[in-house]
Amino acid sequence: MTVFEKIQATLADILDVETASIGAETYLFRDLEVESIDLLELAVSLSSEFNIDVNDDEVFLKTLRVYISEPGDQVTDTRAYLMEKYPYLTSTRVDEILADQEDGPVLKVKDIVDYVNWRSV
Amino acid sequence: MRRRVVVTSVGVVSSLGARFQEIGERLADGAPRFTFTGEEGLWAAPVEDFDLKAYTGRFKDGRYLNRGAQFAVASAVMAMERSGLSEKERADTGLFCGSGPNLDVGEEFSNIQGGEISEAGLSALWMLRFLPNTAASAISRLTGIHGENYTCGSACAASLTALGEGFRKVRDGYLDTALAGGGDSRINRGGLLAYGMARALHRSEGDPSGVYAPFDAKRQGFLPGEGGAFLLLEELEHAKRRGAEIYAEILGFGSSLDGYNMTAPDPSGTWAEKAVRLALDEAFMLPSEVDAVSAHGTGTLLNDQMEAALFGRVFGGHRPAIFSLKAWLGHLASACGAVELAVTLAALTQGVLPANPHLKAPLDPTLDFVVSGRGAEGISTLLFENFGFGGQNSALVVRRWRGGDTSTP
Repeated sequence: MTVFEKIQATLADILDVETASIGAETYLFRDLEVESIDLLELAVSLSSEFNIDVNDDEVFLKTLRVYISEPGDQVTDTRAYLMEKYPYLTSTRVDEILADQEDGPVLKVKDIVDYVNWRSV
Repeated sequence: MRRRVVVTSVGVVSSLGARFQEIGERLADGAPRFTFTGEEGLWAAPVEDFDLKAYTGRFKDGRYLNRGAQFAVASAVMAMERSGLSEKERADTGLFCGSGPNLDVGEEFSNIQGGEISEAGLSALWMLRFLPNTAASAISRLTGIHGENYTCGSACAASLTALGEGFRKVRDGYLDTALAGGGDSRINRGGLLAYGMARALHRSEGDPSGVYAPFDAKRQGFLPGEGGAFLLLEELEHAKRRGAEIYAEILGFGSSLDGYNMTAPDPSGTWAEKAVRLALDEAFMLPSEVDAVSAHGTGTLLNDQMEAALFGRVFGGHRPAIFSLKAWLGHLASACGAVELAVTLAALTQGVLPANPHLKAPLDPTLDFVVSGRGAEGISTLLFENFGFGGQNSALVVRRWRGGDTSTP
C-alpha cells in the first residue's frame, strides 16, 4: 500500500465513509467535514501507522490563518514565511493555498501524504 | 390536576428479538436459550448478529461506544424513530440513561505488561468507551434530543431508576417528553471474570437452558444477558393531542438504599420493601391492586430469598402473578429494568405473561409464580422491581393502556 492508500483507508475508517470518496485532492473540512476529535484520531493513527512523531499543528495547518493574517512585523514575504513554517509543502502548493482562502480550511488529503513522506525521511 | 405520564414509543434490542411480535412469539411458543460463552462453565444470552450501524446508519462516533452503550444507542434511536415527534418536540425531549461500567478490560487494553499500557491499537479518545455518559452524547447527536438529562449509575437498578426519574420530570411539568432506558453487556471476559469471582454466576458443564429458574430451591446464580431498551415517556394530553399510540401508563416510582453490604442485599428486605411501598404510594394504589409482578428474580441465592419473602410481606393473602424475565433474557445488569419493561409490554401486546418454565421447587409455594404459558387477560397493573449491587433498590408501577381513561386513578 502506498502512503496515500494507507491514509485513505485510515480516514475512511475514522470517518465511517467509503474509501472511494477520498482522493488526494479531497478537502478534509470542506468535503469530509472532519471535526477536531477526528483529527485527534488521525494524528494518533499516523503516528502508529508510520512510526513518526506527529506535530498536530504542522500536519493539519492549524495555525495557517494566523500566519497569513498576523505574520508579525518582521515578515515581508508571506509565501516564504509559510514555506518555512510548513517545510513539507511545495511552493506550488503554497501558492494554491494562498489563492484558496475564501471557502474555508484548505487542508487536503495530499498535504497529509506530503507531511508523512517528509517526516518519514 | 395531576399530570399523567404514558409510554408512547418503545425501542428494544434483546436476545429475544427487536420487534414486539417476534419477542411476544418467542415468549409464547419458544423456550429460553442460553449459549456457551467460551469461558469454562459459563453460559449467557447474547444478542446474536448485533450491528449498531443497522440502527444508526453511518456513524463515525460508533467507535467510542462500548458494547453496552451500543445497545443503548441502537434502542434509543429505534424508539425516537418510531415516536413520530417533530424536530422541535425532539429537541425539547429529556434523556435519562441507565449506564454501567465497561468491564471488557482485556479486549480494551490487549497490551498491558508490568502495568505499562501500550498505546498501540488505542484510539485517541479511548476513554470515551469508559465514560458513563458517552451513550447519552451519541443519542443526543443521532436523535436531536437536547432537553434536561442525566446518566444514572445505580448498578442493576440504574435503568429502572432512569425511567422513574424521567417519569417524575414529565409528571411534575419539567418536560412533556422524556426518553428513558439503558443498555449494557457484561458478556465479555472481564465481565465474566468479575461476576465469576463474586460467585454470582450460574456455573454448569452442560447447557443450562432447560434448568435455569429464578426462585427455584436449586438456583445457583445468574446467567448474564445483554441488550438495551428505551421508552418514550409523555404527558397524556400531549400524547393525545398528537394522536400518539399509547402502550402503558407509568403510575409511581420508589427507590431506596440498603446501607448494608457492597454486593449482598439486606436479607431482611426492609429497604427493598420500602422502595416497593413508595412506588405503590406514589401510584395511589394498594398492594391488592397489583395484578402481576416483574420480579428482579436473578437466580442468585440471596436475591431470590429476600425477594420472595418481600412478596409475602407486601401482598399477604393477595396473589399477583409473579414472573422473572431473567429466565429468558439472563441478567442485563444496568439495563435489566428498561429491557424487562419493554419485553413485558411486548408480551402483553401478544396477550401472554412471560413464564419461568423450569421452576420446579419454588422458594415459597404460596406465591403465584407464572410457570407455564398463561394469557394476559385480566392483567392491568404491574409492579417492576430491580435491586442492584450496593443495596440499590427501585420499583415502578405501570398500568396497561386499554385505549381510554376508564382506569383513571
